[in-house]
Amino acid sequence: MAATEGDQFLKQATGPKTRGLLRVIILVLIAGAAVSSRLFSVIRFESIIHEFDPWFNFRATKYLVANGFYDFWDWFDDRTWHPLGRVTGGTLYPGLMVTSGVIYHFLRFLTLPVDIRNICVLLAPAFSGLTAFATYLLTNEMVSSPSAGLLAAAFMGITPGYISRSVAGSYDNEAIAIFLLVFTFFLWIKAVKLGSMFWGALTALFYGYMVSAWGGYVFITNLLPLHAFVLICMGRYSPRLYVSYTSWYALGTLASMQIPFVGFLPIRSSEHMSALGVFGLIQLVAFVEFVRAQLPSKQFQTLLRALVVLIFVVAVGGLVLLTVGGVIAPWTGRFYSLWDTGYAKIHIPIIASVSEHQPTAWPAFFFDLNLMIFLFPAGVYMCFRTLTDEQVFIVIYSVLASYFAGVMVRLMLTLTPIVCVAAAMAFSQILDTYLDAKTPKVDAKTAENGSSEPAKVAAAAVLSDGLRSTRNPLVGIYSYASRVTVVGFSAIYLLIFVLHCTWVTSNAYSSPSVVLASRLPDGSQHIIDDYREAYYWLRQNTPENAKIMSWWDYGYQIGGMADRPTLVDNNTWNNTHIATVGKAMSSKEEVSYPIMRQHEVDYVLVVFGGLLGYSGDDINKFLWMVRIAEGIWPEEVKERSFFTPRGEYRVDEGATDTMKNSLMYKMSYYNYNSLFPAGQAQDRVRNVRLPSEGPQLNVIDEAFTSENWIIRIYKVKDLDNFGRDHHSAVSFDKGHKKKRAAKRKGPKVLRVE
Amino acid sequence: MRWLFSFLALALFCVVNARSFTGSRLLVVLEEESEREKYGVFLGDLESRGFTITTLTPKSESLSLFKHGARAYDHLLLLPTKSKGLGPALTANLLLDFMKKEGNVLLALSAETGTPTAVQSLLLEVDIHIPSDRNALVVDHFNYDSTSAAEKHDVLLLPFPKPARSDVKDYFGGEGVIAVPRAVGQTLGNESPLLAPILKAPSTAYSYNPKDEADIVEEPFAVGQQLNLVSAMQSLNSARLTVLGSAEALQNAWFAEKATLAGKAVKTANRDFAAKLSSWAFKETGVLKVGKLTHYLNEGSSKKLNSSSALPENNPKIYRIKNDVAFQIEVSEYTSTHLTPFELPPNDILQLEFSMLSPFHRLNLSPISQTANSTIFGASFRTPDQHGIFNFAVKYNRPFLTGIEEKRQVTVRHFAHDEWPRSWQISAAWVWIAGIWVTVAGWVVFVGVWLYSAPVGAAVKGGKKTQ
Amino acid sequence: MAPKNRNPAATQSSTQTVPSTPAAAPKPSSSSTKKPGSGGAYDAQDIVLGIWNKYVEKTPQRVKLLDTFMGFLVVVAVLQFLYCIIVGNFPFNAFLSGFSATVGQFVLTASLRIQTNPENKSEFENISHERAFADFVLGSFLLHFFCVNFIN
Repeated sequence: MAATEGDQFLKQATGPKTRGLLRVIILVLIAGAAVSSRLFSVIRFESIIHEFDPWFNFRATKYLVANGFYDFWDWFDDRTWHPLGRVTGGTLYPGLMVTSGVIYHFLRFLTLPVDIRNICVLLAPAFSGLTAFATYLLTNEMVSSPSAGLLAAAFMGITPGYISRSVAGSYDNEAIAIFLLVFTFFLWIKAVKLGSMFWGALTALFYGYMVSAWGGYVFITNLLPLHAFVLICMGRYSPRLYVSYTSWYALGTLASMQIPFVGFLPIRSSEHMSALGVFGLIQLVAFVEFVRAQLPSKQFQTLLRALVVLIFVVAVGGLVLLTVGGVIAPWTGRFYSLWDTGYAKIHIPIIASVSEHQPTAWPAFFFDLNLMIFLFPAGVYMCFRTLTDEQVFIVIYSVLASYFAGVMVRLMLTLTPIVCVAAAMAFSQILDTYLDAKTPKVDAKTAENGSSEPAKVAAAAVLSDGLRSTRNPLVGIYSYASRVTVVGFSAIYLLIFVLHCTWVTSNAYSSPSVVLASRLPDGSQHIIDDYREAYYWLRQNTPENAKIMSWWDYGYQIGGMADRPTLVDNNTWNNTHIATVGKAMSSKEEVSYPIMRQHEVDYVLVVFGGLLGYSGDDINKFLWMVRIAEGIWPEEVKERSFFTPRGEYRVDEGATDTMKNSLMYKMSYYNYNSLFPAGQAQDRVRNVRLPSEGPQLNVIDEAFTSENWIIRIYKVKDLDNFGRDHHSAVSFDKGHKKKRAAKRKGPKVLRVE
Repeated sequence: MRWLFSFLALALFCVVNARSFTGSRLLVVLEEESEREKYGVFLGDLESRGFTITTLTPKSESLSLFKHGARAYDHLLLLPTKSKGLGPALTANLLLDFMKKEGNVLLALSAETGTPTAVQSLLLEVDIHIPSDRNALVVDHFNYDSTSAAEKHDVLLLPFPKPARSDVKDYFGGEGVIAVPRAVGQTLGNESPLLAPILKAPSTAYSYNPKDEADIVEEPFAVGQQLNLVSAMQSLNSARLTVLGSAEALQNAWFAEKATLAGKAVKTANRDFAAKLSSWAFKETGVLKVGKLTHYLNEGSSKKLNSSSALPENNPKIYRIKNDVAFQIEVSEYTSTHLTPFELPPNDILQLEFSMLSPFHRLNLSPISQTANSTIFGASFRTPDQHGIFNFAVKYNRPFLTGIEEKRQVTVRHFAHDEWPRSWQISAAWVWIAGIWVTVAGWVVFVGVWLYSAPVGAAVKGGKKTQ
Repeated sequence: MAPKNRNPAATQSSTQTVPSTPAAAPKPSSSSTKKPGSGGAYDAQDIVLGIWNKYVEKTPQRVKLLDTFMGFLVVVAVLQFLYCIIVGNFPFNAFLSGFSATVGQFVLTASLRIQTNPENKSEFENISHERAFADFVLGSFLLHFFCVNFIN
């Protein structure tokens, strides 16, 4: 009969081997989708490294590939932070560069000569495919439904929350770190479930790899102990937990200390103390359990109470003492500002000034996660119903990640994997219930009720107690109508999800930010390539060792594209040096010039958006320069003096004298009014009209201005040949004759040899 | 034979010529061609020293200091002109530009004709002040020539100048008396280190305008030794501007004149002084040249260094902290005809700075050896315990000597990962090394015994499962 | 609904049988017998003696071997720590690697002990004793490698 044949066919089609093959195909397709949705900028523009930080990683990778691993490990970079230099080999996370280097050499070994730039650009999409696979593995461990894993992989592959930091060209630590994060979590869950030292060791190795890749490894360092701690508190201590946690901690901590940048931090800093604390606690609990096995319970109780109290007091007291005594460093500013969000603005303005460190706005959650954000609590709730050890992990991870994502926009990235997993769990539950072709068998017990309608009986079987409406369902769960409706809507939601993700990726997260794109009135695209124009001018027209002074935002790009030594860059490791640059930018020329001479500055670079309306320029960032400089020289640089008496920050006629005389103001508006008819110079960002007479520059000469006036480069003048100050020299050159000194009253100053 | 002949010719050529170090094209600007006669001996002396002289007036069509962007002449001698303006080719800006291109200028002023405005603003820019009255001149009632200026006392008779500081070489010394007729006195500003007086007026001299009717000069422009008759300015690129207060002192009439100083008959030695002055002003004397500058790692295999001056500079670009480094610099002095080894004046030191933002080392360079043409100064030190980008800097600026300003950038890196002492070389670490190896040994023993011993009970054997 | 995982040790202790074989030759005590006294001194002594006797009777030879090794590690660790306190902790990386070698090895051995304890069989269904031992060896290799690399 057709039915049996159809049944047999279906059975074959749904045999385990077929299912396995299907899964593999689906995962490969998901990886393909993940990779291709990240390629928008490569197709629209070109294969170029984006943003700022990736340029440094790219430069480091080029150095590694050119000079070998040991030279890279010992690298002293003398082309940044002039004249201090930077011990780069010991102050970066080498995982990303080493991964690229390995891939490069492997491809060369296979005689595929891929350029290192293309490897770096495409590394993040490649690893995103792997991340989707890791999410699949992780979700598989959580629930037994086969579809949850695949759904989670699909979500993770295209969700904008992850894409934002892993588009092609975004060659940053998160490119491999998120993969390592999810994979480490998968290994940890596997270790806890099996209680095997092997999986624990594997977790430790991948954790070590993660430590070498990203500073956010601290998240894992705190999440795993928290998981173990919660399990212990719930009374779920088991030998498996002991085996997995201790083997992870012992091997993982040792592995993490091998990275020079981390060094002794796991022993010395507060962020790692929870792991150490839980390690001690778990030893204690194991010991207590061991003893409990030997003793009758009453004696054990007495012993237990005394022991616990004593050791707890000792441990906490010791920890506090060591922190107060300075042996254990307190929380570093970066992480402390996650708890006290107002801390950074007052004490560490550099951290507060980064836009990625601002708190997350509510719409950002929907923007980055779409439908998953409302499935996410449902998934977490589902974990509460069957609270296995691994599902406790989901709950903890969700709570922690939600808090951090709310505090800092950048940490939305760590929330994304767990949202995908939880949402996939909830969604797959829906689909599993409604897509399953079979109606569940009717129980003998319920058949006694006398009802013959399978729907009603089935409903009664599923819900033992409940609403009156469920006892006599009108439609029921297993009728075709409800199935079609629910499955149809789910499909529509999924389609909208895909549409949303693709739209967000295409419009919001695929801009290289080195190249700006805008639309002309007729709709065609207009590319603004001022940055690269200016950097390549520097590269081709200045001596190889010409030192460039600019604000720290552009340091990495100047080092990467223009290949010139810079004074400060995005690493921001030396606040005083940055403050020195800030002081030079915000003081008058007579004060800036000695600073620039002392630091051997040859060219100064500023970003000016006034002609184009580009609001990310240096005049808008100027107050941060002033604040940072004021932090070091409060008597010489005062933020208050840049505001008018009424408290406004103005750049037009009403700007304060300090503002008008500052080097940054002069450099931005020098010669600007020559572009407009007399007296009508307009700054299109601040929307004000500038004074008809532009600023005069004495100590620097204009060297280059890009096509849309976005980047302006000035050359610092050498000392005057005849020992005059530059102001007098410039006015003499213009033709103003020096006046004879008026007769001075009082005794003459005599010349002595 | 031909090579011998050319060699002899060359040798003869070198001996006769006292050439300037920077070129021999000299432009003389005077009021009109006929005046050339008055300075005939002086210009003849210059020509015999190898200068090619072009004489032009300010109104000449072909007068231009520059040709195709480079300077057309190496030196400029400006003699006084009657007109107030020097023409469009000799403005103050152009004169400064000429000096920026390392051209030397010898300015001769005269109290009779006054100073052109271009020269006035030029002097004001470099902080040399002349009296505002056109005809002011220097008068001395004790050191004057009774033969020619018995009443006016405006011809001064002065001995050759001595160096003002003990650490400065003497370039203008000599025997005899210099006649300085009707000089325009100058004063030098106090702030610029580039100025130096060559011939100062005696303490009894003062500046005064003969057209002034009053008996007493109430606020003289300057008096005594504050008043300079010949002053010099050497710019940072070593271009020299020499201001001679009295152009008449260069005229034939005063070169070998008989004069009377306080009753004694003397012969003026102006020719000698003019030769010395012009050889300094046109870079024949007082010129320093830096040859090779080498620094090298003074430990291990680099210690033996080939310091032949034939090899070009090939200095390392990177050192490590706490490295022993040696530094050498080769300095010659040009004395009219050839380069000679530079000898530091007795009280003077030449210093090396090893600095990053501020000097970490400031060492005296001592002469190590001499070649035929130069002295090699050297010093050795240890790089500081701070990594960064450092400069080897030698700066030597003295009056009447061209400046030495040499900078070489070098990177000082940190210890590489394999340059730290190994753990077994640190005696404090032996205990922990022992701890690790004891643990490993114990583990090996344990593994051996474990593998050898019986498994735990038969129950386990039945319960063995595959993973 | 999957049953909640209860604490297995509690269930194990109820299934233990007390063998009646006399005590084997006493082995050096391990850290498991150290404890501060609570309640009366009489109680404490009793507890200690009871535990010791039970331990010596019941544990198989292989486990005692494990316990010996663990005790040895504790001794080495304590010695190193005492040295650190007395003489100072320069060079710090040497101290850390030496100390962590012993602590890590102790923890791995304790894990092996747990995994080869027949009472814990239900927890480790997938892991045979040979597999546990292989894991132990692997973990130890990693540990030794990291320690030697860290001490330079």
